[in-house]
Formats: sequence, C-alpha cells, structure tokens
Amino acid sequence: MRRAIRTALVWSLVSVAATATAWAHHSFAAAFDMNKPVTVQGTIVQVRLENPHSWFFLDVKDSSGKVERWAFEAGTPSGMVRNGFKPGIIKKGVEVTIKGFHAKDPSQNVGMLRELIMADGTVYGMFGSQQGPGAQ
Amino acid sequence: MRPRVIGTIVIAVTLAIVCFAPAVVRTQTRPGAQQTQGTGAPASPKAEAAGPVPRMADGHPDLSGVWWGGSDIGAARGRGARGGGRGGARGGTAPPTFMSLYKPEAAEKAKTLGDKDDPTLRCVPTAFGTLNVSLWDVGAVGQIVATPKMIVMLTETYHGFRLIPTDGRAHRDDQPPAYRGDSVGRWDGDVFIVDTKNFTDNTWMSAEGRVSHHSDQLHIVERYRRVDATTLEIEATVEDPDVLTGPWTVPKQTLVLAPFDRILSLNCSGIETQALMDAAAKQNTGK
Repeated sequence: MRRAIRTALVWSLVSVAATATAWAHHSFAAAFDMNKPVTVQGTIVQVRLENPHSWFFLDVKDSSGKVERWAFEAGTPSGMVRNGFKPGIIKKGVEVTIKGFHAKDPSQNVGMLRELIMADGTVYGMFGSQQGPGAQ
Repeated sequence: MRPRVIGTIVIAVTLAIVCFAPAVVRTQTRPGAQQTQGTGAPASPKAEAAGPVPRMADGHPDLSGVWWGGSDIGAARGRGARGGGRGGARGGTAPPTFMSLYKPEAAEKAKTLGDKDDPTLRCVPTAFGTLNVSLWDVGAVGQIVATPKMIVMLTETYHGFRLIPTDGRAHRDDQPPAYRGDSVGRWDGDVFIVDTKNFTDNTWMSAEGRVSHHSDQLHIVERYRRVDATTLEIEATVEDPDVLTGPWTVPKQTLVLAPFDRILSLNCSGIETQALMDAAAKQNTGK
C-alpha cells in the first residue's frame, strides 16, 4: 500500500507539473528535468516578481562552507499576487528551503520552484500561497 | 486487477479530486460583480440574474471592466475563457488552430523554430493571445476602458495597449508596423467590431513555446458583445494570406467580469528565462 501511495503521489506531481506547463509562458517540460528533484536550503538574496516568470535567488552553503548562488523560476507575478503572494513578503536575508526540479542543463544552479518553505512552516508554491501560518 | 493497482488508482483519483475540487466550489461561489446600471433590451433569465448590460451616454454597451476567465494563471480553477481558450474541443473534431492552417512553406519554417525562439521570452508581446484572447495577450487578464469616442484595451502582462476609435474611421497612415498592430472600431448594433492590421512579422500569435509565426499581412477582425453585466463574448476571424491557406475562425471566447477594478503594473525582463531556455535547447537538441 505504501508503494501505491508513493506511485499515486508521483502521478499527482506529474499532473501538477503538466498543469503548470499548460499555463506557463514557456514550456517547463522543455526547460526542467522532472525526474531530477532538487532541494536546497539557503538565504534569500533577491525576489523578482516579474514577467515572463518570477525568480527567487538564494545563496546556498555546501558542506565545505562554500557559497553558491541558486536561481529558481516560479510562476507569473499576476497569478502569484492574486493567489495571495504579497510583494515583499519574503525579504532579503531570510532562510528558506526550496524544493523543485533541476534545469535540464546540469551545469547550472537553476531550478523550477515547486515549494518554498519558510522557517515558520509557511509553504508557498509556484503560483503563491499554499499552507502554513502565513499562507492565505 | 491487482489490489495494489486498484489502490493506486483510488488514491490518484482522490488526490486529483482534492487538487481540483476548489475549482468547482469557487466557480459556484464567484464573488459578486461590480454594480452596473443601464437600460438594456428585454433580458434573458441569465442576464436578469447577472444584471442588465450597462450602457454609455451614447446608448452603446459599456465594455468597461477587468475581464478574465474567472481566475488568474496558477489558480486551481484557471482554465482561460470558456469556449476553447486553447482551441480545444470536448469530444468530436478539434477546431482548427492558426498553425493547423499553415501553408506548406510556413509549416516547414515552423519546424525550424522551438521554445527558445519564442519572442515572449524576450518580453515581446504576442500578435494575438496565448489563450485566443487578444485583450489578454500573454496573460489571462485584461482591462477595457470605454468612452463613446475611444475604447482603450489594456493588457496586464507586457504593458500592452490598444487605442481604438469607435467612429468607423480608416486605419491611420502614420503608424509604423507594430507588435499589436493598428486597430480601428465601429459599432454594429450592440456589437463592437475591431479591425486590426499593420503588424510586424517578428512576433508569434501565442506564447508558451507554441510556434505560431505569422507575416506582416496578418489581419484580425474581432466582435465584442457584452451579453449582460458580467459577461463579455468575443468572436474573431484571422487572415494571413502569406502563411495561411484560409481564414481562421477563432473559437468564441466568453469572459467574465473580475471582482477588482484595476489590472496590475508588472515588469518584464526575461533575462534569466531566455538564458534558461537557450541552455535547455542545447541539452534537448544539442544546438
């Protein structure tokens, strides 16, 4: 049964990714490897709510202490804002965890944002608020 | 069927219902539309429920408002305008799309293009609209500001606008070719007809990497009809004799009045997105 649940979850994620693809300004499937999930924890450097897609930039320390800059592409700003993602809600310097999918180009520290998790547990999705104390 | 498979299907269906149930609920409980007033003709029961068509001082329908498909991109119920926003059809034969009417040489050119060539990645608007709604361009929300003399169509995503005189005048001769063309309008009863031409040939008809190049002979005629206080129908015919075998009849789009009165002002840079798509293209095709 556990395996069945895992299979179902994978299919659900694929469905969500397909929906996002259908609404994106470019094909996410063409840009990201949906078989390559990535999770990073770091400090927000910049959030840009702009077209054609919003971007989150963060500095991530590896195990040796070396800092690398990562960039994650999210949804369109209009959709994010109207889904409850208020501008300025994620400020420079805050610690976040971002889960997503790696860009097809493995040499880039770039991904598609699936979930951004704040320290208080608030979760923002690609298109805005999802769950947690601060979510709407 | 094995129990494990059945279990998987049941869980997947349950998750799908959980994911998309809000779409149904929220559609049924859409916030009330703006208050309007007017003296429209005898209304249908649906129109009476929504309220009569508001009218301008000259008696023509007032098309003003923020118009969307019921939600924005990314919302659970966001599916674009009703009526085949992406040119699809439920059952039967799908209606033709712009690209399905390409002449052989245009189809060959399309094969040489891909996601990374989409002009919208560089913040260049579409000539028409990804969801077959010119008012929306790349996005899913647009605003109309109507006066008896001029109707202004404002597009949120890429700061687009169209200034459309309503007096039936000819196209201007001092307008260089433009991404979104040159528009003139006239009333035919309660239908506002918009004629647009003088496009550049360096945009696509839609975004999302859907290759939809056109020529500078593109000519679009739209018919806007406010059905009631909260509903706007748009029909359109698209001609491009240089690349199409015949006119494309766009599936009728039905928009609804949004529960807010201003679109957002949004920037576009596209720098990272274009770089991302260029890199992905190399990975996908080696080019």
